[in-house]
Amino acid sequence: MTAEPQRFQPVPREAHADLGTGPIPAQPYYTREYFELEREAIFKRSWLQIGHVCEIPEPGDFLVRPVEVADASILITRDAEGELHAFHNVCTHRGTQLVDASCGKRSRFSCPYHMWTFSNRGDLVSAPDFENFYVDQASCALPRVAVDVCAGQIFINLDKSPRQGLREFLGPLAEQMERLPMARATAISEYVYEVDANWKLTYDNFQENYHLRFIHPRSGEMAGGPQNPFGYPERYAFHGPHRTQTIWSNPDARPLPFQLLAFTKVAQFAMQDQLDMQIRDYFGVFPNLFVLGTATTHFSQSIMPIAENRTRSVIRLYWIGEDDCASRRFAREFNMTTALDIHSEDRAVIEAGHRGLASGALSHIHFQSQEVLCRHLFNEVDRRVQDYRAELAAAGGVQ
Amino acid sequence: MSGNLLPAGFQALEPFVEGWAIEGSENRLRRRLQSTPEEREAFFEAAMPLVQPALAQLDKKRLTEFDAAEQRLMNLMLSMAHVAHAVEVQREDEPFHAEGARHITITRSSADSNPGL
Ligand code: FES
Ligand SMILES: [Fe+2]
Repeated sequence: MTAEPQRFQPVPREAHADLGTGPIPAQPYYTREYFELEREAIFKRSWLQIGHVCEIPEPGDFLVRPVEVADASILITRDAEGELHAFHNVCTHRGTQLVDASCGKRSRFSCPYHMWTFSNRGDLVSAPDFENFYVDQASCALPRVAVDVCAGQIFINLDKSPRQGLREFLGPLAEQMERLPMARATAISEYVYEVDANWKLTYDNFQENYHLRFIHPRSGEMAGGPQNPFGYPERYAFHGPHRTQTIWSNPDARPLPFQLLAFTKVAQFAMQDQLDMQIRDYFGVFPNLFVLGTATTHFSQSIMPIAENRTRSVIRLYWIGEDDCASRRFAREFNMTTALDIHSEDRAVIEAGHRGLASGALSHIHFQSQEVLCRHLFNEVDRRVQDYRAELAAAGGVQ
Repeated sequence: MSGNLLPAGFQALEPFVEGWAIEGSENRLRRRLQSTPEEREAFFEAAMPLVQPALAQLDKKRLTEFDAAEQRLMNLMLSMAHVAHAVEVQREDEPFHAEGARHITITRSSADSNPGL
């Protein structure tokens, strides 16, 4: 009991009351009508993370990623000069989906239907019997999608003319995330699961620590301690539509024997790689990505809406360099299984939350001050949805 | 059993080779989820004291230069990274935990890639 680090000071109840304290309407969390508005107001207009540069390192590499919420499939290429491009994966002749593979190396893409062939810069380079058409070749390039990179993450924007560049959109998060290991990652481990639940309910589960002691009584045993039984974070901060929190590290955590052995290896490699052990930040990037930036538990989660009641989570852990020895391979496997255990515990309660709300029994739900990140996400989503409704009304459409 | 399934010094783990020396992170996860508590505990008890020595020995060689016995030992250690959560952390809650984990698929793993160089 000597030289105890600073005692935990909870974020005061009133600290972020400016974001509101009232109940939150329940319908946005389950209705199809609201989800349809979110598609247009948010997902077809925001920068969306779609991959990582280490997946497409060489000229000629390509990726194809579905974006169900926008009914889109996106082709990302790296051209001979090393530049990234993104396109709708749609042939400009009659709209056939161009590429079937999910990744590979190819500098030309031929449509299976009538063999229109495009370069990885999107130009139509050849088309059989093209003289019979009534268009010129230059106007038949693949439909381009805005693309940019920050912290190693590839983002796209489906808006034909994005209102903001990626850097401007990310604001101060851009620079902070550039300091994370993922910015220089060369390899990824990944696991995926789907839930029968709305994307915001999925996201919210990872935006509050209130549930940890109930849903993770064992795997989360070390999250809370006598000073801070719920394991609440030290700080919350808000940056436009994005939000961050600083994770509290429990000085009283007592790892079990195998955990201690494996955590020690994880920490050794983190130090050997000169990762910043002080970073304890969580980055909530609007609309559907978060990153846990700690050196020893470094992962991102992409929360991909599929329908108002179906969501896919893609969890990625980031590594610098290939596995170079048995201990490193072991430490990485343990890192992944540790995160996976926690995700598997959350799954049932996310679905139960959706089922309860979808019954229509509640008109409102409640967020306490330590659930302020959930409130902030709702505020940011709802403002865009209401603005979009107003836009539609002004344009004389249905409101 | 022949004595050559594992490197010298690790014979105590030979009874577990068949069940737990598994290639592929996703296969290791599935094995954990399909195992009985008795299987998990027996493996964990036998392997726990050998994790440090096994990794220390394997660290002396490049991953690409492992012989079959060393590769089996590596895979046993990687299986421990799955099973230890069940035995040490989840304990009697493992069946509940496994319910959720069944919906998760490991789609990529550092351990499944060929080590560079
Ligand atoms: S639709 Fe692609 S070539 Fe005809
Ligand atoms: Fe959780």
